[in-house]
Amino acid sequence: MIQLYNVTKKYSGDSAAVKDVTLQIDKGDFIYITGASGAGKTTLLRMLYAAEKPTRGQILVDGQNISRIRSRQIPYLRRKIGVVFQDFKLLQSRSVYENVAFALEAQGKKRYEVSKKVYQALKEVGLEHRLKRKPLELSGGEQQRIAIARALVVDPLILLADEPSGNLDQDVTFEIMELFKRANARGTTVLLATHDHSLNQRFPRRVLTLDKGQLIGDQRPANTMI
Amino acid sequence: MLDKVRYFIMRALRNMRQWPFLCTASILTMAVALATVATFFLVVVNVEQLALRWTKEIQIVAYLEKPLPVRDVATLTKKLKAIPEVESTRYVSPDEAMKRFRKHLGEDASLLEGVGRDLLPASFELGLKSEFRNQQGINTVIEQLENILDVDDLRYGQKWLERFNSFARMLRFVGIILGGFLLFAALFIVSNTIKLTLYARRDELEIMALVGATMRFIKIPFMLEGAIQGFLGGVLSLAFLGLSFIFILSRSLESFWLAPTDFELLFLTPFQQIMLVLSGVLLGVMGSLSSLRRFVRI
Repeated sequence: MIQLYNVTKKYSGDSAAVKDVTLQIDKGDFIYITGASGAGKTTLLRMLYAAEKPTRGQILVDGQNISRIRSRQIPYLRRKIGVVFQDFKLLQSRSVYENVAFALEAQGKKRYEVSKKVYQALKEVGLEHRLKRKPLELSGGEQQRIAIARALVVDPLILLADEPSGNLDQDVTFEIMELFKRANARGTTVLLATHDHSLNQRFPRRVLTLDKGQLIGDQRPANTMI
Repeated sequence: MLDKVRYFIMRALRNMRQWPFLCTASILTMAVALATVATFFLVVVNVEQLALRWTKEIQIVAYLEKPLPVRDVATLTKKLKAIPEVESTRYVSPDEAMKRFRKHLGEDASLLEGVGRDLLPASFELGLKSEFRNQQGINTVIEQLENILDVDDLRYGQKWLERFNSFARMLRFVGIILGGFLLFAALFIVSNTIKLTLYARRDELEIMALVGATMRFIKIPFMLEGAIQGFLGGVLSLAFLGLSFIFILSRSLESFWLAPTDFELLFLTPFQQIMLVLSGVLLGVMGSLSSLRRFVRI
């Protein structure tokens, strides 16, 4: 599903945010990307949804080489990818329903299709009763669940999550993890960047460890069927 | 297709409702900018119109060597009128010239007592058609005039005409420079206001790009919004211009320029009014488009 070959990303200056990373992620994988702050987790994810282009190396997503992708094609790549952020990135002036519907409208889906799917997605994250609320009226955990509903409503092949539980307490974090697990069970490849090791202890999965931009570890749990 | 158009319009309107303050700021800025430029345009047009009226006074006075017998006046008048540049002719006999002079002197007319009635020369006064009221037109008329009449002397306010021409040139020059500055300032302010309104909504633009919206999908509602705001700004500026024309501009121009009472001030023609509103629409669309280029990065 995702392949990286000798991928390096340098911003201005000499130090590389991501250095010579080569890895392969199969369809349906659930992967943690860990590492200290500044290890390159976010940059790696940003390259996967084409917000950044690698300075060197090749990236393939679903068979498409996105290292030199044309900006006109980026929207179509992003329709296969759901992204969840630490700060949720919700539109505060729009209702819960509108925030989730936004992702489908952006893809030009028909109205009746939008309302049906939005309701399903919100039901999936347990917020179907909050349709008309504004994000700020909800708790942090609920806001993150809206963001996840927005990412999943388009049935993405890949779900990228950048520190999705960074602002949430542990109980809420585990609820959110359940949502990711369920999406993964339906076939979505999940990449979750986090520095919270407790997640892996509770939900053991393949862990990629980055340090100063380099991939220094790739551990698979003994029993991947957990 | 129709579904999409409806969706874009709905979104443009919903955006405007969701950001009433930003929307009002854009509309008002565009209204003020357009009204300023249009007011300036009106002033220039009216001053020019007024200046053109002054050229009505331009006439050629041909003083004759001797008075004409009555029977020749009609034939010569006819010949003079046949000159293409000439609009009107009038024969002034020595007698009439004296009468005018007397009237002109008013209380001092007594000075003329005992002076012969034929002291002043006879003359023809020729008015010119408006398009020929300039140096070149006058020269052509004079050339033809000399073939028809025994002219002793010619007067046509040469100095005045030169001064008028340089005044008209200056007026146009100042008009273009000032108008250009105003237009530039208006464009600058409008584009900055739109940039600010989009800056406030950059999250929305970012999220749209993130969920896979195409450039077109992101831009069209904003351009539509710009067009609607520009249209409202244009209409508002027209209303403002109309009111200020009636209550301020016409009065101050009249008193400032000491306009003749029959001078009617010009307002924008219907075509110009439509152009004003359309330039509002264009301003809104272009303003949105140029600012979007900065904020939308896919």
